[in-house]
Amino acid sequence: MARRVAIVSVGMDKFASRKVETVDEMVYRVAKNALDNAKLPREAIGAVVFGCAVDAFTATQAAEKVAIGGAGGRLRPTMRNCTSGSTAISTPILGYLHVASGLYDVVMCVCFEKMSECRPHAQHVFNTVYDEYFVRPIGLNVAIQCSLEARMYLRRYGNTELQMAKVSVKNHGNALDNPYAQLGKKLTVEDVMNSPCISWPVKLLDTSPTTDGARAVIFASEDVARDITDDPIWVKGIGRGGDSCWFTGRRNSDLARLDYAYYAAKQAYEMANIEDPSQEIDVAEVYDPFTYKEMQHVEALGLCPEGGAGRMIDEGISLREGKLPVNPSGGLLGEGNPIGAGMSRLCWAYLQIKGQAGGCQVPKDVNTAVCNGWGGMYQYNAVMVIGRD
Amino acid sequence: MPKRVAIVGIGQTKCGFNDDGFSYRELLYLATKQALSEAGIQREDIDSAFTTSYDFLEGRSLSNQYSLDSIGGVMKPCDLRLGEDGIYAIFAGYMEVMSKPGQIVVVASVQKASDRRPDADPAITLSTLEPVYVRQVFTNLPAIAGLEYCLAAMEARRYMHCYGITEAHIAKVAVKNHNNATRNPLAQNARKVTLDDVLNSEMLSWPLRSLEVAKPGDGACTLVLASEELAAELSDSPVWIRGIGWCSDTCYPAASELAKTKFIHIAARQAYAMAGIRHPAREIDLAEVYDNYAFNELQYCEALGLCGEGEGGRFIDEGISEIGGSIPVNPSGGLLGQGNPLGTAGLMRVAQAALQLRGEAGDCQIAGAEVAVAQGCGLPYRAGGVVVLSKW
Repeated sequence: MARRVAIVSVGMDKFASRKVETVDEMVYRVAKNALDNAKLPREAIGAVVFGCAVDAFTATQAAEKVAIGGAGGRLRPTMRNCTSGSTAISTPILGYLHVASGLYDVVMCVCFEKMSECRPHAQHVFNTVYDEYFVRPIGLNVAIQCSLEARMYLRRYGNTELQMAKVSVKNHGNALDNPYAQLGKKLTVEDVMNSPCISWPVKLLDTSPTTDGARAVIFASEDVARDITDDPIWVKGIGRGGDSCWFTGRRNSDLARLDYAYYAAKQAYEMANIEDPSQEIDVAEVYDPFTYKEMQHVEALGLCPEGGAGRMIDEGISLREGKLPVNPSGGLLGEGNPIGAGMSRLCWAYLQIKGQAGGCQVPKDVNTAVCNGWGGMYQYNAVMVIGRD
Repeated sequence: MPKRVAIVGIGQTKCGFNDDGFSYRELLYLATKQALSEAGIQREDIDSAFTTSYDFLEGRSLSNQYSLDSIGGVMKPCDLRLGEDGIYAIFAGYMEVMSKPGQIVVVASVQKASDRRPDADPAITLSTLEPVYVRQVFTNLPAIAGLEYCLAAMEARRYMHCYGITEAHIAKVAVKNHNNATRNPLAQNARKVTLDDVLNSEMLSWPLRSLEVAKPGDGACTLVLASEELAAELSDSPVWIRGIGWCSDTCYPAASELAKTKFIHIAARQAYAMAGIRHPAREIDLAEVYDNYAFNELQYCEALGLCGEGEGGRFIDEGISEIGGSIPVNPSGGLLGQGNPLGTAGLMRVAQAALQLRGEAGDCQIAGAEVAVAQGCGLPYRAGGVVVLSKW
C-alpha cells in the first residue's frame, strides 16, 4: 500500500526577468535554501527529481544535467520530468511517487527555467511546440491560441473582459507583498483594459511575463518526516489529466470547458476525501499564465460553480482577505512565470499552511490548500491537494 | 525480494529507416497496439501512461504532446513525460504501480531519426554539452561534424589506456553484436561481419571505427506493466521487475572518471540490492546493455558486475558474452545490431530481455534464461539505469 508522503521544506529565491546566475547556480540557491530550511545535509537526499519544461530556452539538450551538481544530485538517482506548463505540479507528483512507492525516504524536487537566454524572445521557442505537419503551417502561436480559448470561454459562460482585468489587478497587487516576485504592481482595472491588446480579448496586463527562476521542495516518508519536523504538511491528493492534442477530437472541442482539469481535480479530491472543495479548501494557488486561465481553473477545481469565476472575482471571494483566497502570492501574473518553476504555486500553498507566507499570509486559519499546473497543447492538468491532518 | 510489478505486454516495431511512411505517432501506435493486444486489454483498461522523448531529436519543444493519443492516454492521468531514455519510463511506471496497487501502466517511447536532417546531428550533439564552460571548448573545432565521435573516442582511449583494452577487443564486440542481430527479425540492416571487416571499416576518430558505432534509426517500443494481482490474469508468462536503479554523473567531462562508468555501477548496485542478487556474474543468465559504441558494452559489463573492473577485454576474449557463453550479452544484437532509436533503445533492451525470459526470443533465444539484467543510458551518456528481470 502507498505510504503517506509529507512536504518538509521548500526552497525559494527571487524570480526576475533576467538572472545573471547560470542554471546550475540558480538551482544551487533554491536547493541549499530548502536543505537549510529543513536542517538537512545534502547526503540526506535519496533522489532528485528535476522539472524543466523546455530545453530550447537554454539550447541545452537534457537541460537538467547541467544542474545536477547544484542540486546535490551527482552520483545519485536523478530523473527529469518535462511535461509542459503542468511540469509545475507533475514534477512534485513524480517526487511524491518516489516516496509513496517505498523506493526513497527523502526526495528533492527542483524545478527551474531560464527563459531570458532566448533570442529574440522566448515566444519563438513556443512556436516550435506545434506539430510540424498539420499545425505549424497554419501559423498558430500562444497568443492566438489563448485568445481563441479566452473568447470561447467568455462567450459560453457570459463572463467579461472587465472580470479578467480584475484578476490581473488582484494578482499584480498581491505580488507587492511577495519578496520573490518579479512584477508586483498597483494597478487599476482601467490600466489593464487600456494596456495594449495582444490578441483580443487578451491584453498585455492579462498575460504573465517571461521569467528566470527556480524552486525546490523536499518530500519525505511519514516516519522520516516526523524526525525532520514537528509539523509536516501532508500530500493529501494528486490528480492528473490529459486530453487529446487535437482540439477537434475532443468531447468539448470549443476549448471553453477544460474537461481534463475537471478530471484531474476529481481524482485529487477523491483521494483527499474532499466533497465540496469550495467549503473545504482554505486557499488556492492556481496556474494563471493568463487572467482567464485563473478563472477557468478555479471553476475546474470546484472552488466556484462552472461559469461562476466572474462572480467570484466580482464579489471579492478570491481576494487575499476574501472567503477563498486565490493566488494570494500573486500567482504567475504577479510573481512571474518560469514555466517549470511554476512549482512556486505548491511552495506558496505550503507556506500558507505553515503560516510562513509573510505579507502574503491570508488572515484566517489554513489547513488545506490546492494548487495546479496546466500546459501542453492546452491538454494537461496536474493537481495537488496538501494539508494538515 | 519484491515481486509486485510485472511486464505483461511487449510491443516493438522493426528498427531502421522505415520506408513505410509511418509518422512517429503511427509507429508509437503500432507498438502500443501490439503490447495491449498481447495483454488482451483495450485502451480503456489503462490506468496511466508514461512516455519519454528528447525535444531536440524530435524537432519540437514539449515533444510529448502529440504522443498522448497514440498510447491511449486521452482523458487518463497521463500528464507525465520524462526527458530521459525510455528505460526511465519503467522506473516511473514501477513507482506508479507501487504507489497504488491494482494498476495497469503503459510505458512507451518512440524515435524517428529519419525525420531529422542528417546534418543536424552535430548541432544536437553540441547542445548536449554544458553550455557555459564545456560547449565553448568544442564550438570552434574545425571538424564539428565528427564531434560525437571525438567525445566518445576520448572515453574509449582513456578506457583502453587504464585497463589495457585493445582495438581488437572492441572490434570483437562489434562482430558479436552484428552477427547476433542477423538472428533478430527486428534488426536494422543486420549482416554478418568479420573481425577484418570491423578493423578495416572507416576510422571515425581513433579508436572508433564505423562498424563500432550504433547507427541512428527509427523505432518504437511499448511495455505494459501491471501489479501483482493483475499480472497472472493478463499474461500466461509475466516477467517480473525485481530491481531497478538509476544514477547520474556530472556533465563536466573533466570532473568525471572517463574510464569507468561509475553511475551504472551505482545504479546496478541499487538494482541488485533490491533484487537480492549478490553475485551478478553467477546469478545473471543474460544481459542486454546499451552498446551505443562497441567499447561501451565492455565498460557497462564491468559496471554491471558481469566481470571484474578492467576485465572487459578478457570477458570478450573468452567468449563469455557470446550467445553460447555463460553470460550472453546483447543476444538481440544490441544497439549496434538491432539499431539505435535514440531515447528508445534503452527501453528496447528491457523488451528484448523480457522476451528472452518468456522464451519468445526466436533465434536469439538463450535456453533456460531465468534472470536477466537490462541497462540503458540517457543523453549525454553520463546517466543511466538498470532493470533486473526474472521469470519467476
